[in-house]
Amino acid sequence: FQDQAEQFLRSGHTNNWAVLVCTSRFWFNYRHVANTLSVYRSVKRLGIPDSHIVLMLADDMACNPRNPKPATVFSHKNMELNVYGDDVEVDYRSYEVTVENFLRVLTGRIPPSTPRSKRLLSDDRSNILIYMTGHGGNGFLKFQDSEEITNVELADAFEQMWQKRRYNELLFIIDTCQGASMYERFYSPNIMALASSQVGEDSLSHQPDLGIGVHLMDRYTFYVLEFLEEIHPASQTNMNDLFQVCPKSLCVSTPGHRTDLFQRDPQNVLITDFFGSVRKVEITTEALSLDRDVAGSESKFPEEELATEPLKYAEQLPVAQIIHQKPKQKDWHPPGGFILGLWALIIMVFFKTYGIKHMKHVF
Amino acid sequence: MAAPFVLVVLVAVTVRAALYRSSLAVFIAERVEVASPLNAWKRVVEGLALLDLGVSPYSGAVFHETPLIIYLFHFLIEYAELVFMITDVLTAVALYLAIQDFNKVVFKKQKLLIELDKYAPDVAELIQTPMEMHYIPLKVALFYLLNPYTVISCVAKSTCAINNSVIAFFILATIKGSAFLSAVFLALATYQSLYPLTLFAPALLYLLQRQFIPIKLKSKSFWLYTMQYASLYLCSLVVIICLSFFLLNSWDFIPSVYGFILSVPDLTPNIGLFWYFFAEMFEHFSLFFVCVFQINVFFYTIPLAIKLKEHPVFFMFVQLAIISIFKSYPTVGDVALYMAFLPVWSHLYRFLRNIFILSCVLIFCSFLFPVLWHLWIYAGSANSNFYYAITLTFNIGQILLISDYFYAFLRREYYLTHGLHLTRQDGTEAMLVLK
Repeated sequence: FQDQAEQFLRSGHTNNWAVLVCTSRFWFNYRHVANTLSVYRSVKRLGIPDSHIVLMLADDMACNPRNPKPATVFSHKNMELNVYGDDVEVDYRSYEVTVENFLRVLTGRIPPSTPRSKRLLSDDRSNILIYMTGHGGNGFLKFQDSEEITNVELADAFEQMWQKRRYNELLFIIDTCQGASMYERFYSPNIMALASSQVGEDSLSHQPDLGIGVHLMDRYTFYVLEFLEEIHPASQTNMNDLFQVCPKSLCVSTPGHRTDLFQRDPQNVLITDFFGSVRKVEITTEALSLDRDVAGSESKFPEEELATEPLKYAEQLPVAQIIHQKPKQKDWHPPGGFILGLWALIIMVFFKTYGIKHMKHVF
Repeated sequence: MAAPFVLVVLVAVTVRAALYRSSLAVFIAERVEVASPLNAWKRVVEGLALLDLGVSPYSGAVFHETPLIIYLFHFLIEYAELVFMITDVLTAVALYLAIQDFNKVVFKKQKLLIELDKYAPDVAELIQTPMEMHYIPLKVALFYLLNPYTVISCVAKSTCAINNSVIAFFILATIKGSAFLSAVFLALATYQSLYPLTLFAPALLYLLQRQFIPIKLKSKSFWLYTMQYASLYLCSLVVIICLSFFLLNSWDFIPSVYGFILSVPDLTPNIGLFWYFFAEMFEHFSLFFVCVFQINVFFYTIPLAIKLKEHPVFFMFVQLAIISIFKSYPTVGDVALYMAFLPVWSHLYRFLRNIFILSCVLIFCSFLFPVLWHLWIYAGSANSNFYYAITLTFNIGQILLISDYFYAFLRREYYLTHGLHLTRQDGTEAMLVLK
């Protein structure tokens, strides 16, 4: 029973997804892009493949004309660590990062023409990490300097995900000013949330780089990353350690977290449950044979299938008829009374002006 | 002077035909300065297509033309380009004949005042001579037909050309002295776009002058004539509106046309002043400010009527200009109409103070409109403030132009009666200042 209980308490996920969103544009918001790319790097390092990461960057810092070191995005001053590189796959870039696209990604209500790389193809056994960074306020997060997403919208999106069985467990991390307001309204089960600051506090940036000229990282994400650098795919570090990251002395703001919606005790939740893609492997010593007999058992029902008619295209007009189709005749005509009235008026005006004697010339 | 006029008409028609065939036609037709929601050709075609599908064209906020335009274009839609060219030519003809008659009236009045010794002795250089007035009608027709604004308006097939034509015929009928025709055309013009209602006052003043009825509030003949003219106007307006009802058997067109003009729901940028203001306004205040802006158009009629009661045609010019500056959806076609009148006041040139700067402002703004539109909408490096700034500058230029002409006109009148060299009581030279 102990074994079964432990199985129950272990996370039942089979795949991991990550949705990493940077919502601000313009050069001076370099740090938000660097934040997101650092988390992307960590998450990839711990095993989540690009096909399971939806990376949304609202602006291009690496190729920004103001970047003195083109094709790089640094996350440490003195340019120690370049989080950009050859293998960064940005799924939603620039103006595609909108509230609508973000919510569509989360809820899966995407037009059929969207490529796979832009979809969150999670199922009810997926653990999803959602990381958002940018400028925010009490109850909202600003996208692209022109729109916002509110905490209520986000909570409703998560509820949609829950009802559609699009996640098993969800970890929501947000690094913005007053970030805790964004997780206040969640009401769906199995969500754990972390934020960089409480309501009424601002999240501060870490260090400017004098060569690049902007702040490179935000404090909270910087310390989260230092923490994550020590994690490897086999580590047993749990969420309680993540909650201790960045105390007020280092971060100036008070990071917050919310675990009341989460079924398991954070003590038992491994960091790699969300940040890594750790497969549960069951080693077996038995041999399985994949024979024809297995396929033969399915031959019970083919007879009914053959009875259906073969499908064919609907009858079409022959091409000649299509080409020479006359334009539709105009169906509307002004009513007779109107035409009569109008011309009677015009004639009346004419004769009133020029006198009746001109009628002699008409007839 | 028929031959030069015909030549001008031919040149104008050629220019328009050439532009119709070129690739610029599509580009011009989409420009917001030329096509407003009220008179865009695209909307006319859309409305007629809706009608063919059995739907009232006024359902949905696409079509804002009057039923008579529906009737006109129902049969003429394949010849649309010809229709607009003919409309422009008709407008030019109407303006030509009107100004010819007006010149005769001016000259007669001048002669009368000289014989009555009303003019000061040293104003010989200010009096208009027939020689210099001989070419004015041709110049007016030229100004209208070859004005780039008119050409562009015609190429874009904006129904502003029809509005202008009706107003031109109204002016012709007024100057010829026929109260009945003038009332009918004014009713048509008001029916088309609400604002020519303000032209009632100058037309009335002109007709009163022509009938030699003195404009005194106590005079019975004044009120009798006013009542006659007003009743003619109102009856024709009512008849036209009732006739429009019978086209589609519904009163839908009234909120679609007049409600639209008055309540300004569509805030597409244009060269006017309404869109930016109402784009930023809270709902709570929009009714108040819509009323304020609309009253602004009608507001100048009474003071101008009091000041310019001796000069109703100039009043009409100023009123036309005020309409085209302050109306809710102005286009460059409206500007072209009152600019056509500028040659009539060419004798005021010596009194105009800012004409160089104003013409520069107007020309530069006209060139900057498409540039800043491109920067705002396509390049994304400007925003609506840039475009609105040019709109503001253009309208300020127009307002200053009109007030310059107004001041020059009044100044000339003053000089005519008080002499060209004004002296103060102590004999030194005096300056005339408009208070």
